Amino acid sequence: MTGASFNRLSFTGGKIVHFGRRVFQGYALVMLAVIVAVLLLPLIAPNDPYQAQFLYRLKDPSWAYPLGTDALGRCVLSRLIYGAQLTTASALLVVICASALGSLIGAFAGMAGGLIDRLLMRFCEGMSVFPALAICMIIAGVLGLGLKAVIIALIAVHWTEYARVVRNAVIVERTKPYVMAAVALGAHRHRITQRHIFPNIIGPLLTLAAYSMSWAILSFAGLSFLGLGVEPGTPEWGLMIAESRNYLRDYPRLVLAPGLTIAAFVVSINLFGDLLGDRFRIRQINYLH
Amino acid sequence: MTSRLTARMTHALVLLFIVSVISFALLHLMPGDFAEILLMAQMDGTLPDATQVAQFAADNGLDDPLPYQYLRWLIALFQGDLGKSFITDEPILGDISLRLGQSLLLAVLSLITALMIAVPLGIICARYPGSRIDRIAGLISVIGMSIPNFWYALLLALLFSLVLGWLPTGGHGTWAHAILPTMVIATSIAGVLSRFVRGSLLEELSKPYIRTAKAKGNGRLRTVLRHAIPNTAPGLLTFAGMQFARIFDGMIIVETLFAWPGLGRFLVESLLNRDYPAIQACFLLIATSYILINLAVDIAIAIYDPRAREVV
Repeated sequence: MTGASFNRLSFTGGKIVHFGRRVFQGYALVMLAVIVAVLLLPLIAPNDPYQAQFLYRLKDPSWAYPLGTDALGRCVLSRLIYGAQLTTASALLVVICASALGSLIGAFAGMAGGLIDRLLMRFCEGMSVFPALAICMIIAGVLGLGLKAVIIALIAVHWTEYARVVRNAVIVERTKPYVMAAVALGAHRHRITQRHIFPNIIGPLLTLAAYSMSWAILSFAGLSFLGLGVEPGTPEWGLMIAESRNYLRDYPRLVLAPGLTIAAFVVSINLFGDLLGDRFRIRQINYLH
Repeated sequence: MTSRLTARMTHALVLLFIVSVISFALLHLMPGDFAEILLMAQMDGTLPDATQVAQFAADNGLDDPLPYQYLRWLIALFQGDLGKSFITDEPILGDISLRLGQSLLLAVLSLITALMIAVPLGIICARYPGSRIDRIAGLISVIGMSIPNFWYALLLALLFSLVLGWLPTGGHGTWAHAILPTMVIATSIAGVLSRFVRGSLLEELSKPYIRTAKAKGNGRLRTVLRHAIPNTAPGLLTFAGMQFARIFDGMIIVETLFAWPGLGRFLVESLLNRDYPAIQACFLLIATSYILINLAVDIAIAIYDPRAREVV
């Protein structure tokens, strides 16, 4: 991510800026509505996602089972819907915790400066060198696997991204005249961070949050796919793909449906991140995966 | 080439030290008493009683102070002793070095393939920004970054192995077995790489020396290839070095999917079996190799670009 100044999404880049603020606000509202809907979705699921019916194994799509049933006779659509809820909730939790932790540490490093800043940033740089998924797996493995372990592992790996972005933004803002004016007026360091610097770095923070949301979703699905995430049987997209692997030749729809769902989710979140980046004129933050 | 490289090497040494402490701590941080778990693994899972555990700990020096145990572990490490697997009771070193070779082969093949796709594509996109090919490449790279690579790998397997029957679904041994894994990893990083090449080349092309080069009567191709490209190389090298981390993430998935006997699959198996000594060895090996790869990239850049030597 360092020094990468390439223009994401240049194929639409110029146009989106022209749409301006209204489109952005519209998209933000739609995204919010989608997230709320996803969290409430299980209310509209047609069937019980856990109920295995061996008489209805591998059925083709029908009115009762809009996307058919899987190898254990469970409704694919219901499992996708419950999976959406699980994935969104977990990814949100990861993003919220990692951003809170990382922002605090980054802001602290940026305001403190000196040796503390250098040590913390060296640590964050060091972390970015390692393969994130492998480190997540090892942390989750040592913690004993399972949903909780995976979420903790994702947070433990991910906060450094926020620390770096927030620290750099704080350093830039700190030297600007308005902060110096606040210092000259006798404002306390905490007050300056909260009242003056934070509102000015919210843009990069939101942009990063969008990209890290899609990173969290992909990592979560990847870990579950490998059998290192949620418990077997849980309606989770990565796990659904893993469970349907052996039916790839004869029933590709079992693999296609969850994969397309993940892809659609992640593409829309990334596009939202691009919009945020254009809105706040941010060029330094890129996709995390 | 003094200050910058010395700083980098010190940095790498400190990181290596931290990594060694963390991997030592991995075994001692896991839930439960270490001596008890070791003994249980040796006794095929029966729960030993307290006196046996105490005896075992005393015999193997497991009740010594931790710093002392760490030093002993480190010395053993330098003698090539990575411990024994809980599952097979064999030394881990032999197992892991076989797999390391397979993983390295896959990583190097993937990186070369990715560069062969990304560099020409990035150059074309930067040469004609906003053109149809540039937009399509941008769209594909955004989609490529958004689809889960394990799913993408399955789709390729479906197409090339199951439907067309051109390639084997899994295993290793012949070059045909390496094609699918390499394709998955290479195409999954080629998008980012080509965007990077495009971005940095566009930046170079807007600089005054390019105008000078054109004014001297160089052709378009020569301007790009002889003047702009060499200046983007250090950045590309750093970026490619960083992509190595993503290659390994891809390898974990691909090796598991295509039954490729590499380090990634070994890590997954050890985690599923809760084979802690093997997990520790994997962590140590992965972390160390990434520190060394980044150091090697820094050294390569310092050799290539004299300007990078002095800047701290």
